[in-house]
Amino acid sequence: MRSMEGIVTIVQEGRFQLTDDVGVSHLCILDRNAAAEPGQLAPLQRRQARVRVRYTRPRNLIGFLIHSVALAG
Amino acid sequence: MDMHPRALEQSNSQFGGPIPNESELTAGVRIEPGKSYGFFTDTTLCIGCKACEVACKEWNNLPADNLGLTGQSYDNTGALSANTWRHVNFIEKAGVRENDLAPFQSGWLMMSDVCKHCHNAPCLEACPTGALFKTEFDTVVVQQDICNGCGYCVPACPFGVVDLSDLDGKAHKCTLCYDRLKGGLEPACAKSCPTDSIQFGEIGELQQRARERVGELHRLGAEEAYLYGTPGAPGATGDLGHLNAFFLLTDRPETYNLPAAPTRASNRVVPSLFSGLAAVAGLALAAAAMFARR
Repeated sequence: MRSMEGIVTIVQEGRFQLTDDVGVSHLCILDRNAAAEPGQLAPLQRRQARVRVRYTRPRNLIGFLIHSVALAG
Repeated sequence: MDMHPRALEQSNSQFGGPIPNESELTAGVRIEPGKSYGFFTDTTLCIGCKACEVACKEWNNLPADNLGLTGQSYDNTGALSANTWRHVNFIEKAGVRENDLAPFQSGWLMMSDVCKHCHNAPCLEACPTGALFKTEFDTVVVQQDICNGCGYCVPACPFGVVDLSDLDGKAHKCTLCYDRLKGGLEPACAKSCPTDSIQFGEIGELQQRARERVGELHRLGAEEAYLYGTPGAPGATGDLGHLNAFFLLTDRPETYNLPAAPTRASNRVVPSLFSGLAAVAGLALAAAAMFARR
């Protein structure tokens, strides 16, 4: 499973935008079995926290399916 | 921290924050809790630009889906879904060009479809967890932290609007930009519509405006124009009351993939219960009669 680091910049329900180190924003969707809850995303966005996500690419959709979110050092 | 070059491409806003009651400037209506708000979609003005679809996806951070060609004219999103809360229908009427219209005119009908935010919402009645609720603006919204993904709301919706996401397993649909309404902003789709085919406002005022528009179209010779979803009109049947997102159409509802006479699913509970009980009683009587003969 791939991983990526960035800053949570926008949160809508269980969807969020992760802006990576080169300034590209990615649309992320929390997986139903993700090790994170939608309610935990808004505090990360407010803190502009740097996070590491593990993701897969869903079929027929432009975005990342997020399986875990963790604070990055 | 060094600023990334791409961040420098964005100029600072001259405003310190959102403009208070911005909807008064963009839609001519002040958004206040306790009043009913909705959409009036005039399909005669829709040009199929899909600005509403894009604005909806941008604001709500919804992913693009159904990549590739559908083979259905200019329609790429296909239908309303968990990831597409606004969908522009492209309907080409066969035989129109050679019969009624000048050669340079087309027989295309376009309609931006959306959740109807029914006055008596069947999805809300079917929800066992209370995740679906009526907001202070008389709109219907799914609370994502409460939805358990049971999917009862999906078949309850007579318009096929609510959908379960394969990704997060929860029900999704248009929120009529609940977060924007709370901030005094017009919904993204209505604000982006370049022809004002989608109009946002207070329901009573919108219905009056729509009736006047129908009268104007009739005077211009488009006598087939009618309203769908206003009280007493097609679409507002089966105890739905009225639709907070209603439409001006120029063809049968089925042409636009809308039901001619939608009903509340709860209306069918009592007849279904009694027909089931009657079937059980009939079978029991038949069994008793057979055993009695022996």
